[in-house]
Amino acid sequence: MTTTSERLHRSNDAVEDPILEVKNASVTFDDGETYVLDDVTFSIERNEILGVVGESGSGKSMLASALLDAIPAPGHLSGEVLYHPDQHTTVDILEFTDDELMEYRWADVSMVFQGAMSSFNPTMKVGAHFQDTLKAHNESVPDGMEFAREILSDLYLDPERVLDSYPHELSGGMQQRALIALSLLLEPEVLVMDEPTAALDLLMQRSILLLLEDIKEKYDVTMVFITHDLPLVASLADRMAVMYAFELIEAGPRDRIIGESAHPYTRALLNSTPNIDAPLEEMQPIPGKSPAPVNVPTGCSYADRCPLATETCTRDAPSFDQVEDEHTVACHHWQQAREEIALSFAGGDEAGRSTGGERR
Amino acid sequence: MSRARDTADAETDAEPLIAAEDVEVHFEKEQGILELFDDPDVVKAVDGISVAIEENDVLALVGESGCGKTTLGKTIIGLQQPTGGAIKYRGRDIWETKAGNTDLSFKDVRSSLQIIHQDPGSSLNPNRRIVETLAEPIRLTHPDITAGERRERIHSLLERVGMTPAHDFASRYPHQLSGGEKQRVALARALLMNPDVILADEAISALDVSLRVEMMDLMLDLQSEFNTSFVFVSHDLSNARYFAEHGDGRVGVMYLGNLVEVGPPERLIADPQHPYTEVLRWATPNLSLDATEASDPPMRKIDIPDPVNPPSGCRFHTRCPEARETCTRLQPELEEFSDLEASSDRADSSRSHRVACFRSEPDHQYWESSAIED
Repeated sequence: MTTTSERLHRSNDAVEDPILEVKNASVTFDDGETYVLDDVTFSIERNEILGVVGESGSGKSMLASALLDAIPAPGHLSGEVLYHPDQHTTVDILEFTDDELMEYRWADVSMVFQGAMSSFNPTMKVGAHFQDTLKAHNESVPDGMEFAREILSDLYLDPERVLDSYPHELSGGMQQRALIALSLLLEPEVLVMDEPTAALDLLMQRSILLLLEDIKEKYDVTMVFITHDLPLVASLADRMAVMYAFELIEAGPRDRIIGESAHPYTRALLNSTPNIDAPLEEMQPIPGKSPAPVNVPTGCSYADRCPLATETCTRDAPSFDQVEDEHTVACHHWQQAREEIALSFAGGDEAGRSTGGERR
Repeated sequence: MSRARDTADAETDAEPLIAAEDVEVHFEKEQGILELFDDPDVVKAVDGISVAIEENDVLALVGESGCGKTTLGKTIIGLQQPTGGAIKYRGRDIWETKAGNTDLSFKDVRSSLQIIHQDPGSSLNPNRRIVETLAEPIRLTHPDITAGERRERIHSLLERVGMTPAHDFASRYPHQLSGGEKQRVALARALLMNPDVILADEAISALDVSLRVEMMDLMLDLQSEFNTSFVFVSHDLSNARYFAEHGDGRVGVMYLGNLVEVGPPERLIADPQHPYTEVLRWATPNLSLDATEASDPPMRKIDIPDPVNPPSGCRFHTRCPEARETCTRLQPELEEFSDLEASSDRADSSRSHRVACFRSEPDHQYWESSAIED
């Protein structure tokens, strides 16, 4: 484990002013037999939008829960989750008492879950959820509701109508936006969203993404957007992290992950995505299956699906390599991957080179 | 454009496999006792749509939630009775057949029109092994087949949809399968009946992005192998494009119960004629870097209007960036959109490009009317 920790620290160097740092976070079930998050280290920069991408069962929801120390029992979270309210203060949220943790959740870091329908209490009006949240955190209700109305109208909702409705009286897209408003009620520093748009149609997904961008600017909030939908989050994120089989395998600025990705899995994922401009013949599914949380292979966990895998890959887990500046990848053969696995969509590689590394 | 169509071309006079003729599906909202004497609220889920499906055809229906695409799909395969118009299978009205008024047996119609649901988790009985789920339809339709033959058919079909070893998968329960595997079982179940048409109702939406292409490829393989037509319902234009283009079919764009544009996928996407198609195109994520940057949507409002009280005239006028005063009064018809390139194969109806927008008519009064102020 120690060797892993040392090498993974390198993937940290990219961020100058982190608001959250996750160090060697692992989540285990069954007394350490089953890993659903395996030694993940990364940081989130203040005021960025970080997109975390992974297939179902890659551990991405566990990562989200880890940021709030909210792993469901009997799961066990180890490692460190450091929160920096400002540049000079550091607290480890895994050391928090229950009271501190309650204060931290929602007021410092809040979360939007997948499926708004199951997040609201169906027997309570939407407005009552806002009031309850304010009361639970000892905030002034009238002031808080005033703020709630402002956020709701920023999300193109009619505040009076929404607050006075039961959840089932709103459409899925309106519920999801109301939930985002609720998560912003206590002006958190960080908003963690786990598949916030998954149950919605594409048009509403894109509209919500646009609104999130405005919200981020207006309320100065750092966002972590977790999804399986790579092209969706690509339109929003500043930086992206790719997960595979409970590990982080690649991280870097958005344009580099899309245009010049270095991990064979990321490149295969990009090529497997139905894309409106890509030539149809070149969309390829990824052969094979991702490994189960038990019996994770010893070497690189992608080795048995990877076209470039060699003996080294099945023997040694790859360390994080710096591709360029802030772009890191855990692969033995990333140079070869970029040469041999072509990206099929318009603007892969070449276009990436010209705009790569630029930040918005 | 290689696959299919040759049979359809040969018998252009023949009846299409399925013909929807001016189909309407209107739902009445349930009423409380106090509203007993008021007129009921009516949702026009499908409002006057005509569409035909040939053998070995693909029709991909796209649109946002609540536009009626699933209702239209279910009407096409005879699961939803239309409140107006007619739905015909090989020239005979399906609902008349059910009433026993035609020479077809409804049992045959029913088994030749199949469905794959959106959520594979809830469309399989959790208390039954896969083999039991798949044996049921055979037992019902072919009571004289022996258990051994049944098992053989099930195993060969499971192998065909890529679930090997078949005997292992056949003895599992649904919770022991992944989402993609469950959806394969649902596909196998639909195929057991050798259907003419399968409605794939958001059949790949619940799957991971990386598995969608694989599942679509499997359905397309089976389309050419078993000569099955697909009605593919999706909210994702890029999936609809992939499926319809490979299956040599059409994409139909729906908005609030109306079909607003129908055409071959590449033309519809490269050169969308309806402003709403443009909106869907905007909403479709794109990986090329210059296009990833989210631009403002080409529409004026985010939320779809209340279907109980849809806008007058063209239903899209409340959100349409191009709407003018005419659009609030008149409803455009779905008409052949003519441009020079397309004229060559005009005769083939499946290649036609139709659109319901005044903007496709250069001399319509739309162009004279004034813009709408919000």
